[in-house]
Amino acid sequence: MTTAVDRRYLHPGQLAVAHSPCTLATILGSCVAVSLHDAGRGAGGLNHFLLPTAPGSEGSTRYGDVATQRLIDEMRRLGSKPGDLVATVIGGACVLDALQARQAQLGLNNVRMAIAILGEAGIRIERQDTGGSRGRRVAFHVPDGTIDIKSL
Amino acid sequence: MSVRPRVLLVDDAATARFALAAILGDRFELHVATDGRAALTLARGILPHLVLMDVVMPEMNGLEACRAMREQPELQAVPIILVTAQDDEWDVEAGYVSGCTDYVVKPVDRVELLTKIDSWLGA
Repeated sequence: MTTAVDRRYLHPGQLAVAHSPCTLATILGSCVAVSLHDAGRGAGGLNHFLLPTAPGSEGSTRYGDVATQRLIDEMRRLGSKPGDLVATVIGGACVLDALQARQAQLGLNNVRMAIAILGEAGIRIERQDTGGSRGRRVAFHVPDGTIDIKSL
Repeated sequence: MSVRPRVLLVDDAATARFALAAILGDRFELHVATDGRAALTLARGILPHLVLMDVVMPEMNGLEACRAMREQPELQAVPIILVTAQDDEWDVEAGYVSGCTDYVVKPVDRVELLTKIDSWLGA
């Protein structure tokens, strides 16, 4: 007999954390998702943001600086300290081969923002699946922290 | 005087066209089509720098138009942003599979759309 596992799809700008069995899924183009996993507590979380930096004091999780810090804060609420967490950074594609060579891509800037916030918090990045020219379907599984990434 | 980027706006709803045109302002040379088939014909003629494409439209929908543009050598490198109310995950996946460059969900956030346009235009 199989046990049904909760599944939640994250739209751009959303994030979720969990400490019971579930799958957090999303689809990314130039957007980026950060997953955080606490193996000791069997807890994890995922965000999905669109743009790197929030303008002014806007606290929207559609922006990478806010969304990544918010995810860290939500994991802290579950009892996870930065040292307990490992991160995966996913997405930031440039879905157009002709623009691959350009360095000022939105996707690349989204990835850089996620890495910067994680670095400031002292969270180790275990895996990066970023860039490229294809969108991605992502499924992050709690409590084991495994991630399925399908190229679109 | 610098040349304004040509943007092809494709949407069958007048209210959506009006709202998007208001966001775009006068920074772009705006061309308009009201279905996918007309957009394909117009795009071959004007060779836009960027396309904003609705999905649910008569004649030829946005996904079909996106695929058709990607089959045209002169349009393969044109950024196509799907701008649609369809936000189900399978719709988003279908968008990327069709060859779109980016996906924006209505109602459109002005900052988000302009940032994406500037990024894809290299501004």
